Amino acid sequence: MDPKLTEVAQLFARFKAAYARNDLDACVTLLSQLKVQLTKFPSLPPLFQQTPNAVEELKLARDIYEHAVVLSVKLEDQDAFERDFCQLKPYYMDTCGIIPPSPEEYPILGLNLLRLLVQNRIAEFHTELELLPVKALDHPCIKHAVELEQSFMEGAYNRVLSARQAVPHETYVYFMDLLAKTVRDEIAGCSEKGYDSLSISDAKQMLMFSSDQELHQYITEEHPEWEIKNGSVFFQKAKESQPCKEIPSLQLINQTLSYARELERIV
Amino acid sequence: MPYISRRPPPSLSTLDGKRIRDLLLLQASPAAKAHAPTPPEIPPPPRRARRGAPGKEPPKAADRSALAAHMAAAAVMVSSAGSLLAMLQEPAPELKLHALASLNSLVHAFWHEISTSVSSIESLYEDEEFDQRQLAALVASKVFFYLGELNDALSYALGAGALFDVSDDSDYAQTLLAKALDEYAAIQSRAAGEDKTMDPRLEAIVERMLDKCIRDGKYQQAMGMAVECRRLDKLEGAISQCDNLHGALSYCINLSHQYVSHREYRLEVRTFNLDDWDYKPCHTIQLLILQCLVKIYQTSPNPDYLSICQCLMFLDEPETVASILDKLISGSNDDALLAYQTAFDLAENENQAFLLNVRNHLDALSSARSDADSRATNAATEPSGDVQMGDDVNMPNGTALTVDPVKVAHADRLTKIKNILSGETSIQLTLQFLYSHNRSDLLILKTIKQAVEMRNSVCHSATICSNAIMHAGTTVDTFLRENLEWLGRATNWSKFSATAGLGVIHRGHLQQGRALMAPYLPQNGAVGSASPYSEGGALYALGLIHANHGEGIKEFLRESLRNTSSEVVQHGACLGLGLAALGTADEEICEDIKNVLYTDSAVAGEAAGIGMGLLMVGTASEKATEMLAYAHDTQHEKIIRGLSLGIALTVYGREEEADTLIEQMTRDQDPILRYGGMYALALAYRGTANNKAIHQLLHFAVSDVSDDVRRTAVLALGFVLYNEPEQTPRIVSLLSESYNPHVRYGAALAVGISCAGTGLSEAISLLEPLTSDVVDFVRQGALIAMAMVMIQINEPYDSRVGAFRRKLEKIILDKHEDTMSKMGAILASGILDAGGRNVTIKLKSKSKHDRLTAVIGLAVFTQFWYWYPLTYFISLAFSPTALIGLNSDLKVPKFEFLSNAKPSLFDYPKPTTQQTATASVKVPTAILSTYAKAKSRAKKDAESKAKEKAEVAPPPSEDTSASTSMQVDGAAAEKKAPEPEPQFQLLTNPARVIPAQEKFIKFLDDSRYQPVKTVPSGFVLLRDLKPTEAEELVLTDAPSTAAGTNAPAPSASEQGSGAMAVDEEPQPPPAFEYTS
Repeated sequence: MDPKLTEVAQLFARFKAAYARNDLDACVTLLSQLKVQLTKFPSLPPLFQQTPNAVEELKLARDIYEHAVVLSVKLEDQDAFERDFCQLKPYYMDTCGIIPPSPEEYPILGLNLLRLLVQNRIAEFHTELELLPVKALDHPCIKHAVELEQSFMEGAYNRVLSARQAVPHETYVYFMDLLAKTVRDEIAGCSEKGYDSLSISDAKQMLMFSSDQELHQYITEEHPEWEIKNGSVFFQKAKESQPCKEIPSLQLINQTLSYARELERIV
Repeated sequence: MPYISRRPPPSLSTLDGKRIRDLLLLQASPAAKAHAPTPPEIPPPPRRARRGAPGKEPPKAADRSALAAHMAAAAVMVSSAGSLLAMLQEPAPELKLHALASLNSLVHAFWHEISTSVSSIESLYEDEEFDQRQLAALVASKVFFYLGELNDALSYALGAGALFDVSDDSDYAQTLLAKALDEYAAIQSRAAGEDKTMDPRLEAIVERMLDKCIRDGKYQQAMGMAVECRRLDKLEGAISQCDNLHGALSYCINLSHQYVSHREYRLEVRTFNLDDWDYKPCHTIQLLILQCLVKIYQTSPNPDYLSICQCLMFLDEPETVASILDKLISGSNDDALLAYQTAFDLAENENQAFLLNVRNHLDALSSARSDADSRATNAATEPSGDVQMGDDVNMPNGTALTVDPVKVAHADRLTKIKNILSGETSIQLTLQFLYSHNRSDLLILKTIKQAVEMRNSVCHSATICSNAIMHAGTTVDTFLRENLEWLGRATNWSKFSATAGLGVIHRGHLQQGRALMAPYLPQNGAVGSASPYSEGGALYALGLIHANHGEGIKEFLRESLRNTSSEVVQHGACLGLGLAALGTADEEICEDIKNVLYTDSAVAGEAAGIGMGLLMVGTASEKATEMLAYAHDTQHEKIIRGLSLGIALTVYGREEEADTLIEQMTRDQDPILRYGGMYALALAYRGTANNKAIHQLLHFAVSDVSDDVRRTAVLALGFVLYNEPEQTPRIVSLLSESYNPHVRYGAALAVGISCAGTGLSEAISLLEPLTSDVVDFVRQGALIAMAMVMIQINEPYDSRVGAFRRKLEKIILDKHEDTMSKMGAILASGILDAGGRNVTIKLKSKSKHDRLTAVIGLAVFTQFWYWYPLTYFISLAFSPTALIGLNSDLKVPKFEFLSNAKPSLFDYPKPTTQQTATASVKVPTAILSTYAKAKSRAKKDAESKAKEKAEVAPPPSEDTSASTSMQVDGAAAEKKAPEPEPQFQLLTNPARVIPAQEKFIKFLDDSRYQPVKTVPSGFVLLRDLKPTEAEELVLTDAPSTAAGTNAPAPSASEQGSGAMAVDEEPQPPPAFEYTS
């Protein structure tokens, strides 16, 4: 076996050990070392060179990045999650035929879908979904995310919130928690459009806060443009009427005149 | 040579309608490459493809990975650059680096993905601590290239430093190199006041490229780039390292003439110190290049004096030319030949002022020398010898005559060279050539004469004019002599024209011109000798005879002008004076003409305006403003028109200098002055293909309210574009379909002017439909233009010529044709066979210099729209197509050379036969002709059947005649078995060599005479390898005997067996008939 590969495999074993004993700091350092090591393999994306150990190397690299994704969930670091997932993706998308599919593939893809849902990046969510084969949609992890998205779009927020109990994978919990906040933001956005004002108690109930204080904190953090007075929340300020768009009459007149002039000049 | 053809695309920013924009798209945008993901607006220009060499160096680190990626691409390929972009966000620098390197190799496929996060790459480049900033810059540069942001791409490519590989063959590298060069050249060419800060990195890249080209042996590219970037040090380097020094130098001269003059470099700075050219702004780049060339020439072991003198002429250094010539004529016989050749080449460019200077300097030099000699010999006896220096030129020569035979030879050579420089020798030789080789077809004229109605004076004078043009410069006036009675029907202005026509026929007959015209000239005291019309015409004729060489006749014309009060005579005298004193800016003559102008007589004033313009051609003097002021004062439209043309003539060749005046004229209320403004634009920017001028003209062509101005604007395009005749048909093709007949007319003439004598296929295709336009004057213009394009082209060369000739005949014979188009057809027949079929219309000399007389001639010729007598100005544009070999005595020896093409291809058109003439007379009776046709067809059928029986194989038809509609008579074919046409032809000195034929001319190696310079046309000095043997001379001074009024001039019908019999022309073909 290639000594380089062995070295990385050993390093990865150390990483897994650290991960098992939940030593996250050690995990992070080991992981960044691993990534640097991985750049030295020409068989990995984007080069995909046909080296003798290509299959082992690809498998190992995929394993490392899968762990990196899971680790980032554990660290609750969304940026790292996105980064790692992006780097993992070529192993899922472009290596068919070289290495067998990973058992972790669908859970991680589902996780990513969930993340997009949490970040309210619906367009990207659907793009990702389109990239998946039809049979993947039957996988519980994917199905979960798709159903969540449907409920989310319908406005059946209660179903979204209750789905937390039925997660297909333990790593999903983190995102489900975050999803609650996303839902709240959605509701806040809708209320803003829908009402001129809401009483504090209604707002509290609507935004699923247990106390007034939480509501106040939320408003100051997320929506400083809202106004609280007389026991009600006023959204008026946010809806300052946009200036009515003017008809560009002068421009149109000029354009028409220039057409007329050019017509004259046609030789 | 991609370099020369390159020119900046026209700026299209202004709003003149889509049509104009389309018209202005001189260069079709190159099609986007199929494979490249490049947006179409940044086509990686293939034009530079040959410049940066695809050197096969080992690929650099970055490229190696790219190579690997391509190799693996067959197996697996990433589907997105997302992972790499994500990796770029990693905190570890190694990962960033890896990501960048991978991106660099994949950028061609994923630039669209990378472009969204290009800002992060940019920030990497700006990060001072990141150690691979150059790589980041390279990636960013590539992304911007694919996005079409070439400026950003270039600035990042500069940031990439050494990683940007100039030898790369990719579209990216080539495009950016081109961009870098453009940028560099733009900065280099900025005027002194502007910001000239040069990015040292840009300079480094350009230098790397130049060095690479020189190293790879791509000298022409290197020279082109060096010229464009004004890096004369590199230019010199490229030339001096080049193995083919002569080729390199001539390429360079071409560059400096053709390309550099496009760029509006002015020749303002006349003096320039070669040593410190570095420090001076380079707006005299052309001068610099030429000086650079002269320097290289002079240091080379055997200097090419011909080229040096051409350069020096452009540099306007008559002293140096004079000293070179002086050195040469003091040398051996061969040197003298070289001197003569040089002088002929210089004289051909018609730069009168320069030639005069050279002559004066030559005089000064030789007198100084003989003075020194005489002082040496006579110092003791003649102490006052030094005072004669410069005082009396003849004296030293005179003394030398008695002293030394060497000096006699020198003096003899000096006279010869002065004669050559003054143009007299070439005029005389040309005259002899045109006389002896005259092949004009009198039958055509006869047909015209018979067809033209007696009372129609327009057609009558057009016929006289056509005759004059046909015999321009040949001194053959047989037709006029034979038809004196018919000629006498010309009255009033027709008489004026008829008399002036004699001037065209005798053009260049400097010695006897005045004697010839004597019967018509105004006689002092003697009243009633002739009408004022013939007197005026005779004065005009004198001007035409002496055009541009009027030293001898000026005084007489002035005298005549002063002594007359008849406005018709004044008219003729003003035109004559203007022609004779063309471009001399003579103050006294100017005063005389001005006096005529201020009499405010419409007829005389018009000619005075034109005459002043001719006198002041190209001087851009104060007189123009004066003329403009008077044009505003006067009430007569004729005078305004004359003046506005005159003003236009004064700005000839002045380009930007004339802009204020042009602006003034084109903004005027008076359409006639705007009309003059169009001519001013045409003449100021003649033959420059200047985009600004074209743009302006197109603008006026579609926006002016006056038809005259629009017509002239389109016509003027012909003058601006005559250096690139291929462009004109494309530019005016839309205008030629205009609804406005004036615009169509202008388009026809524009093509006629710029494509004159080229026989360009596109031009003919464009004119063909116009010759059957619905409007009569459009037909007229198209016929004339077509004749100008087809001049000297014969039927085997382009079959459409035959069709056109037949069409002309048909129009002339048709009773119901409009007078206008009939007149056009008559003139066109004249132009088609101009100068005894031995001249063409040429606006540029062989050394690409503009022929001032020709351009002016055509410009005034186009005035025939208003004033028919001005038609004769077209004779100024004629230039003989001959190769005339000369020995050291400037005599024409018997000498043969080879034309490596089928003789029929460049032959004279076959003379029309009596049969066609009679047949055409019979045409009106329709029944008879159909009957005859049917009969002849039946007869032919019978004959062919009989023949088929007799011999199995039908006679092979000649390939050239098969394409035409001619059919060889069966009987004749039987008698004369058609021989295969030879592939070459021996021509005898002096011979007709038409422009299209020039490339086939070869000189025989075993001939007694060897040319000094192997040029295919014009005057060639011949070195006699057997000087002891007696020479057989041809071309004695025949015209002077013919000029005597009693000697009968040979009629054209006997030309085949003519007195000179120097041409072994094939016998005229057997009778044939048209079957179409």
